[in-house]
Amino acid sequence: MSNPKIGLIFNGVWSQYAFAKASKYRDIYTLLYIHDLEASQLDEVDALVVPFQSNHAAIAAHRDLFYDFLAKGKKIFVEGDGSATWLDARWEDRPVNNYWWVKDPKNPPVSVTDHSHPIYKGLQPRHAFWHYHGVYTQVPEHAQIIQKNVEGDVVTWQTHHFGGTFLVTTLDPIVEHGVQQITHLDNYCDRLTEWLIGVKPEGKFEIIASDYGIAV
Amino acid sequence: MSPTPIRALVISNGIEGLDSLYQATEKIQYDWVEVTPSFNPTLEGYDLLIVPNGSDHIALYRIKDTIKAYLDAGGALFCFDGWFTDWVPGYRWIMDNSQKSMDVRYKIKDDPYKLSQQFEVEDLNFSHGISGWWACGYIEPISPLGHVLIEDTWGRPLVVIDETTTAGLMVLTASAPAADLSYATTDDGAAEKAMTDLYHALLGLVSLVKQPTHV
Repeated sequence: MSNPKIGLIFNGVWSQYAFAKASKYRDIYTLLYIHDLEASQLDEVDALVVPFQSNHAAIAAHRDLFYDFLAKGKKIFVEGDGSATWLDARWEDRPVNNYWWVKDPKNPPVSVTDHSHPIYKGLQPRHAFWHYHGVYTQVPEHAQIIQKNVEGDVVTWQTHHFGGTFLVTTLDPIVEHGVQQITHLDNYCDRLTEWLIGVKPEGKFEIIASDYGIAV
Repeated sequence: MSPTPIRALVISNGIEGLDSLYQATEKIQYDWVEVTPSFNPTLEGYDLLIVPNGSDHIALYRIKDTIKAYLDAGGALFCFDGWFTDWVPGYRWIMDNSQKSMDVRYKIKDDPYKLSQQFEVEDLNFSHGISGWWACGYIEPISPLGHVLIEDTWGRPLVVIDETTTAGLMVLTASAPAADLSYATTDDGAAEKAMTDLYHALLGLVSLVKQPTHV
């Protein structure tokens, strides 16, 4: 039996690539280039992540593949911005507050977190939120709210309505971990990975130089 | 009489906020082309090809011969970081986390066009007092022919200007964004101004070294 794999829906963005190719995650995540995506590729993975800076128009063209995947009881994690073209929710942009922890560290923009969720259970508040990219002003009636901002808008929600588990957040752990400028994201990403497929990543986030300047 | 505006083609990866980064003026006009499964844009007629941060470097690798031919015909390219695939003639971009972003400082190295008079490199270093907001990896020349405008603390190229590897002009940055606006990356006024001023200085370079090809 092959090792469990997480498919990372990929539109050629370097930070997505840097995450999936890092030594810590490269044997767990596999890149699925959105413009070449075929149904058979989804049969080979146990869970999917849709990272920030995705091409949501391209994803929407494969909408049925994603809901068929959920219908098989599998998990999908969506981060960053979203699109009503394939999500049953309305995402709206908001200014990104990257520096609240410098300017007003006692008042983070996210004020509500359900720490009973397996990813958030045991996470320190600082590890459960860094910044978000927009909010959901409308989510499905069957959604469970995991995080809200101080204005009461939804940052993270989850539903089991489609068969498997659909976890959607405007946080951006995958892409920011690929950028490697926020130093605590192993906490979130490792819990996310373990929640998705039951595998806990080990080791350091090392970048392998031979992964760069490649032919494809 | 106003100078002929630069006619630029921006590659769009369909990501949120990208269209707000580039604002047309009397000096530049932007056209956009979306990456699709059949992505194969026509570059002829454009003075400048812009590959923003967050671009699709799988799609760009697949048209690398088209881009090389465009540059060999005298075209200009701005590539703003992250080309993990080998499509940029003569240069690789390498992601790196071996140095702490808090230690990153940018320095002007080689500036024959006096571009640094048009932006404050010191202000690229910090956003709200935190360094490294504009730092992502470095550029590795395969056979150095261009000059390094900005290098980092450790002498690694961050902005390269190359007029010799091809018949055209290549401006490559290891960091980003570089645009008219920063969107979500920073809201620090000085940092945003430095980034925008750098971008406009680079546009001035295009006007200086290249004759418009679309007239």
